[in-house]
Amino acid sequence: MHLDYRLNEDRETDWSSVTEEDLRYRVALGNLIFHVGDKDFSADWGWIPLVDLVASFAEIVRKLESGSPNETFEFTESDAWVRFERIGEKVSVSTSYGEGVAEIALHSASAAVKSFRERLRSDLDRRHPQAAHNPVVRKLLGAA
Amino acid sequence: MNLRLIIACFLAFGLLLTADLSAAQSAGYHQVQTDPDQQVILTHWALQHIMARHWPDSTATGTGKFQTGIAEATLRDMINEAVRNGRARHNTHGRSGTIYEYDFQRQIGTTIDGGVASRLRVVVSNRNEVITAFPF
Repeated sequence: MHLDYRLNEDRETDWSSVTEEDLRYRVALGNLIFHVGDKDFSADWGWIPLVDLVASFAEIVRKLESGSPNETFEFTESDAWVRFERIGEKVSVSTSYGEGVAEIALHSASAAVKSFRERLRSDLDRRHPQAAHNPVVRKLLGAA
Repeated sequence: MNLRLIIACFLAFGLLLTADLSAAQSAGYHQVQTDPDQQVILTHWALQHIMARHWPDSTATGTGKFQTGIAEATLRDMINEAVRNGRARHNTHGRSGTIYEYDFQRQIGTTIDGGVASRLRVVVSNRNEVITAFPF
């Protein structure tokens, strides 16, 4: 599973004062790069709030690990979705916008989400040093 | 004797309340009660957010678009109608607020594939302010 992102340039946001709602809907926007096996579920729409996406994916993985049979991620600005269905120790992934279904080990999905979150956190801290001191950013992306 | 009767009634009432509450919780976990008189606040910033992504002339990809000719007043009316009459549910995966979805039974815009969209999704914050709204 390859989970990555492309973050848009942003010179306007005051990262010391962004709120959770900003992070969920309005800032740190970009593209999702998402391959599972030979299936490409990437979304290059440019408006995807990446902090929200990875926080939601982390919550979804946590719920699947806790026994939830399936979880669905809904994009913020469309009815597009990504569905995760647990099958034993594997997870099947499908989307409303890409063809096919792919499977991955649950622990691999968990590791990919964790890596995505850590990379995004480092990237934001580097581009916007004030983000490192914003507790809401810490809440959604975890402490360094 | 009277004291025992009072205690028994008190305990029975407590059990009844607990059972009722848990039944309601399990039956309506994702559902939110709608208020027929509810009006939500559409701020200037939320309007800008919606126009940038969902207005007919928006260049955003992967989003539903409103029909040509939509005006701010029409959008406000549609949002309030969706909130009053639509299906409400809690926002998902840690996002706060409520999602309302309403089918206008006529075309209100286009879907992300360019097809006919008749439904509106409105996301409202816990401060009763619109966060976003789009056709699908």
